[in-house]
Amino acid sequence: MSKRVLCKFFAHGACLKGEHCEFSHDWKAPPNNICTFYQKGLCAYGSRCRYDHVKVARLQSSSPSSSADISFPVECLSGIAGYGPGIASGVTAEHSASSGPLCHPIRPAWGEKTGRHDLLDDDDNDGYFSTVDPADRPICSFAAAGDCPRGENCPHIHGDPCPTCGKQCLHPFRPQEREEHMRTCERRKKQLEALRHSQDIECSVCLERVLSKPTTAERKFGILSECDHPFCISCIRNWRGSSPTSGLDVNSALRACPICRKLSYFVIPSVIWYFSKEEKQDIVDSYKEKLRSIDCKHFDFGNGSCPFGTSCFYKSVIIFTSVLNLCYSKFSLGHGGGVVEKFDLKIMFSGQLLTFNSCKIRKPRAVGLDNVDWGFKNHAYRDGRLEEVVIRHLGAEDGNTVIAKDIRLSDFLSNLQIR
Amino acid sequence: MQASRARLFKEYKEVQREKVADPDIQLVCDDSNIFKWTALIKGPSETPFEGGVFQLAFSVPEQYPLQPPQVRFLTKIFHPNVHFKTGEICLDILKNAWSPAWTLQSVCRAIIALMAHPEPDSPLNCDSGNLLRAGDVRGYQSMARMYTRLAAMPKKG
Repeated sequence: MSKRVLCKFFAHGACLKGEHCEFSHDWKAPPNNICTFYQKGLCAYGSRCRYDHVKVARLQSSSPSSSADISFPVECLSGIAGYGPGIASGVTAEHSASSGPLCHPIRPAWGEKTGRHDLLDDDDNDGYFSTVDPADRPICSFAAAGDCPRGENCPHIHGDPCPTCGKQCLHPFRPQEREEHMRTCERRKKQLEALRHSQDIECSVCLERVLSKPTTAERKFGILSECDHPFCISCIRNWRGSSPTSGLDVNSALRACPICRKLSYFVIPSVIWYFSKEEKQDIVDSYKEKLRSIDCKHFDFGNGSCPFGTSCFYKSVIIFTSVLNLCYSKFSLGHGGGVVEKFDLKIMFSGQLLTFNSCKIRKPRAVGLDNVDWGFKNHAYRDGRLEEVVIRHLGAEDGNTVIAKDIRLSDFLSNLQIR
Repeated sequence: MQASRARLFKEYKEVQREKVADPDIQLVCDDSNIFKWTALIKGPSETPFEGGVFQLAFSVPEQYPLQPPQVRFLTKIFHPNVHFKTGEICLDILKNAWSPAWTLQSVCRAIIALMAHPEPDSPLNCDSGNLLRAGDVRGYQSMARMYTRLAAMPKKG
């Protein structure tokens, strides 16, 4: 690219290319500080991005002198640039030969400004930014990181201090970004605090601090669903999994909390300990959520049977083989309650006849039966094939349609109120 | 194996630290084998065992703490739940009601509690159990006190 632009690796003290680097290793060269992601429309770091969030197009319109400025508008912004005449001529002349128009014809204004090592003066700055919407102006990344060496004279906006992290990183004109930052900051702080408190918690089986165990796999809590006694995940799983042949009773000893003997049916792994009921609930919920996306290996898509039945946490997808019989009646509820669809459903499934009498859709929808949305339309098969699911009522010509479809049993049951 | 060793080592340190805290229990680890422990416990007051010092032998399995330690009395004791000859103890927490949250120290405490509250309905020492079940508390107490004097007290002069 251009030797005029400060090499960012050099700026961090570690450029591997040394003298052969195509970027400048001269501290006086202006850094290219534009966030490329922001240019493309979205930078995930938002106001915390260490690069400048400036819109090049806008800048270009205010400084239309040359194409070079499009790529490096920051040099006008972060005026520290102020080339000494010697360097400017040395570097640019050398380069203008090789990379042509890209770097040489800098704005004539630079010529006048060369030799000025001080910061951009204010009126220049204001004049420049007056064309830019304040919400588009980036906040100073130095200030956001903690300390801006330029202080009052900084050409960038200094953000408002965040109440949680105390850094000046809240953009005064981007309420959405502010809120997002405050939210993530708050969450991170909470998490760190919980992690700090969790450090001291000991497992009552191995008597060691759970988060100080030698391997990362062991540094996890095993939370019991019914009580609040902490254990390592490996200790409590070993205990619950130890064979009942050793004379220990499964329900009164193995599945009970080793301390309070309260019976818990499952253990939740977690990297942090909780300090309130809500936190525990969050951990439990996200764990269950994760399991719900994994197919139950016992159920095996309807080919096997899961010993945990309806309390299984894993995904159970059944493949309906045939709907034998489907009666349908429709009646309306008073007071604008909508229309309730009622079904008698007989399903042949794995050689078993399942009968659901007077099933109804919980959210009454006045739709034709052919479009009844059961909540399991278009479920993908394991091989990714999609299957349209339509249930037709008995009177229809193809009332005994063989319907092969994937239904999550829990989805199916939650959509039906079985009487 | 490694887990049980680590846990026993933790307990050892805990015992060293709390030595003074519980004067009724003195737990000592075998010098060469951390899976062998002995304990000296004082007979609880207001029982026929008062004044006696009883020695217990612990043999800790490799699966500890998932499995309970084996404990027996080395000192002869007349108690319905302790075998008179072998010293074997009938205590639920050492059998089917074991929990890995128990420690050797807490097992000692449980045994002291058992000495104070015998369970004559599941006797290992039938003579003792029968005395209690027949309601002969005095007979039981005098027998127990006699054996305490004979076996658990230092011989006088």
